[in-house]
Amino acid sequence: MTDVTMTINGQTRSASVPPETTLLQLLRENFNLTGAKLGCDVGDCGACTVIVDGQAVNSCLMLAGQADGRQVLTIEGLASREHLHPIQKAFENSGALQCGFCGPGVLLSAKALLDDNLDPSTQEIRDALSGNLCRCTGYTKMIEAVQEAARLLREESRTQLTHARPEVATP
Amino acid sequence: MKAFGYVSAKDVAHAVALLGEHGAKAKILAGGTDLLVELKHAVHNPEIIVDISRLSELKTIAVADDGLHIGALATHGDIMNSSIIRDMFPAMVDAAHSIGAAQTRNLGTLGGNLVTCVPSMDSGPALIALEALVTVASSAGRRQMPLGELFVSPRKTSLKPGDLLVDIVIAKQNLSKPAAFEKFGLRKGQALALVNVGAAFFIDKGNFLCPRIALGAVAPTVIRAPKAEAYLEGRKISAEAMAEAGRIAATEAKPISDFRASADYRRDLVAVLVKRALASAQARAAAKQKELAA
Amino acid sequence: MNEHSRVLERDKLDIAEPLSDVELRLPAVLPRESYPIETLTPDARQQTRAVGQRVTRPDGRLHGLGQTKYIDDLSFPGMLYARIKRAGIASARIKRIDTSAAEAMPGVMAVLTGKEIPVNSFGPSFQDQPVLVDDLVFHAGDGVAAVAAVTEQIANEALEKIVVEYEPLPAVLDPVAAMREDSPKVHAPNSNIYATKTIRKGDVEKGLAESDHIFEDRFSTQMIEHVSLEPHAAIADWDANGRLTIWATIGRITLARADIARTLKLPMSRIRIIGTIVGGNFGGKNEISQEPALALLSKKTGRPVKGVFTRGEEFTSTTTRHPIIMDYKTGVTNKGRILARQIRLVLDGGAYCSWSETTLGKACILAPGPYKIDNVLSEAFVVYTNKTMTGAMRGFGAPQVCFAYESQMDDIAKKLGIDPLEIRLLNAFDEGSPSPTGQVLHSVVIKESLRKAADRFDWEPRS
Repeated sequence: MTDVTMTINGQTRSASVPPETTLLQLLRENFNLTGAKLGCDVGDCGACTVIVDGQAVNSCLMLAGQADGRQVLTIEGLASREHLHPIQKAFENSGALQCGFCGPGVLLSAKALLDDNLDPSTQEIRDALSGNLCRCTGYTKMIEAVQEAARLLREESRTQLTHARPEVATP
Repeated sequence: MKAFGYVSAKDVAHAVALLGEHGAKAKILAGGTDLLVELKHAVHNPEIIVDISRLSELKTIAVADDGLHIGALATHGDIMNSSIIRDMFPAMVDAAHSIGAAQTRNLGTLGGNLVTCVPSMDSGPALIALEALVTVASSAGRRQMPLGELFVSPRKTSLKPGDLLVDIVIAKQNLSKPAAFEKFGLRKGQALALVNVGAAFFIDKGNFLCPRIALGAVAPTVIRAPKAEAYLEGRKISAEAMAEAGRIAATEAKPISDFRASADYRRDLVAVLVKRALASAQARAAAKQKELAA
Repeated sequence: MNEHSRVLERDKLDIAEPLSDVELRLPAVLPRESYPIETLTPDARQQTRAVGQRVTRPDGRLHGLGQTKYIDDLSFPGMLYARIKRAGIASARIKRIDTSAAEAMPGVMAVLTGKEIPVNSFGPSFQDQPVLVDDLVFHAGDGVAAVAAVTEQIANEALEKIVVEYEPLPAVLDPVAAMREDSPKVHAPNSNIYATKTIRKGDVEKGLAESDHIFEDRFSTQMIEHVSLEPHAAIADWDANGRLTIWATIGRITLARADIARTLKLPMSRIRIIGTIVGGNFGGKNEISQEPALALLSKKTGRPVKGVFTRGEEFTSTTTRHPIIMDYKTGVTNKGRILARQIRLVLDGGAYCSWSETTLGKACILAPGPYKIDNVLSEAFVVYTNKTMTGAMRGFGAPQVCFAYESQMDDIAKKLGIDPLEIRLLNAFDEGSPSPTGQVLHSVVIKESLRKAADRFDWEPRS
């Protein structure tokens, strides 16, 4: 068995799992965080995307042991019961999620992009989302939603909201 | 996945010792983007996984006296974001950017891409064009060899059980060499190369000097195009010469037909991509000169 | 640096104080805070403007929060995981299945074969598809046995221990060859042609004879999988009262209930189907697949059983879009008016009928295109082959024939030196035009749409 301890959505958690457990299985089965989905299990579809140490990764391609000691952000850590994250707000307002299965992954890819770049070009957004497949063909609205989220986030940083916003579970 | 043992190496010496101890029963886990897929599909059934993904000493990207060193564990994302590589070796940034998508680029490593040794690997052509060397560690010590000698056949390298690829080196004399990478896939994102090409040459009074052309996905491993190189050597730089080199390189490619593309289509792509890669290397050289002048 | 800036320091996790065992045992969920995020429920009976408005989906909130529960997000106490062994051979007779080694494995709770299924056939129009094949294999993606185990890993290993001996049979792979009398039969003794449709209007021979030019072309399209991001998944729970509950990612739950009742010989009143939110359907989740097998595994074990297809199974063992071989013979005047169109469609139906009849009909009716053609003969055949079955997919055959007739329209325009837009405006339906089946069409805006589109992207006439 492999013992792992990691910070998930700001909370430290431990588990002892068989070595062949992926990070995705660890999150879904051990920690009951079912937001990340199993879509293709080979790193093509991006439904399992989570953010590890600030970078978007396919959690189906990472062993739980590799995530030991790291900081993991899942879709469950993006909002609080009080507030939606601006990305969630923008996706909701744009109607960018249809069946929703790809959604958690897309939102986290968008988060990883916007953490680095608050004013991404359409091409940069396309590049950041190219690892997230949507078969409902909703990409246009997703790109609009990311642009809208970027606008909301820029506004926020301009108004110097320095007080810690609880909904932004930055790892 | 089937059950296996797992050990996370603490440093290179520990990794080498573990690999020496377990030999062929062990598999090395770096980025995992290929290995985990193969484990899920039971392509390999190792007894133990030696996880080297924490070895920060293998993630360094730095210039030393002998040239540019890229640690084998540098991810494609690290390469794209490295100011050193952006400045000295932008062709490698293009190559890294063309691999998979953000999520896989953040996990997948340069060393992993090379040792997985698929014919369409995107890291290969640009490095071969710049005659990169690789450093391999084992319990017998370290040895260095040209990257080309690493590749044997599809998914087969010259590494023996117990060997660990640690470092990729671009020799100092080749660092200023203008180089470019071109790729054509069926989609703009997340696509394997139908053909990829690396090209590099010095400019000597308007002539090609030491031109190097590397072709990917058109032979069992990444290959050079020696006839096209010989044609360009000493020749005046022109669009016509680049196009002719492309045509010659197309005759040197040995592509297969598969469900992605026919051999003929791939040969045509070689001609086009070689021409483009040469032109883009030249443009890069011109831009650099302008920058230096300014 | 903004407050969302990413953590650049990797490999460092500062755990200031060691956490207590109690803390570490907590589930990784956010602490509960006062309710709630602003409501997304619209006021009852409130009429809102719809046309021209951006639609906000009522389920969008949960999707964005990652709180929508798809099948694989559900689990129940004692739940088992099912996996299905696939034949891997296109056409064969099963000589022997030995499941004893799999059954003996620790953690394997039950193994199921086709012979144990009360009525081993289902299908939305013809009941020609076995739940698990018991005698003949009809395509490589057929299931031959199912396993329920305490983990998915054990279930997968158990599949490897199931031994199946096959006697390979000739496989029918080319739909056109399959139509010949002497072709091997997929479902012997029946003909491989399992449904046909013909539409006649006017006199196609006469129309062709009067035409200045005849264009004869063959077009074909490939098999396409829906690839919904959520794979086919279901959980079956056969309780001790003999009541069956199935959570399923199915678009048509009442039809599914009828099919499941039939295969299990169970009254419909004993079956409850809970249709969860479907993670992409596109026609691919319009019928049952593994549900009866899961139900029987649940009955055998007394435990809830979950089955989720792998991405590979999605391609080999679920319905796909029909490949169609489309022969078009079109007669036109020198000015580009279409006088007659004769069409022959051969739909590759794969191993089972599924929604082929619907697809066949729609493809046949739409094959002449949205054009005023007085003389039409459209014939369509759907044919069994030993391939993955084809079924419903967005458009039910319409995209395939559209590719054919629009490709040929371009060819005709080019040959006659007419602008491709003009030739379409010349032939397109008007308000009140009759369709090939005689239906009088209303709200026909095809010409306006074409003109508006041409205007929007600055179409320049070409000929």
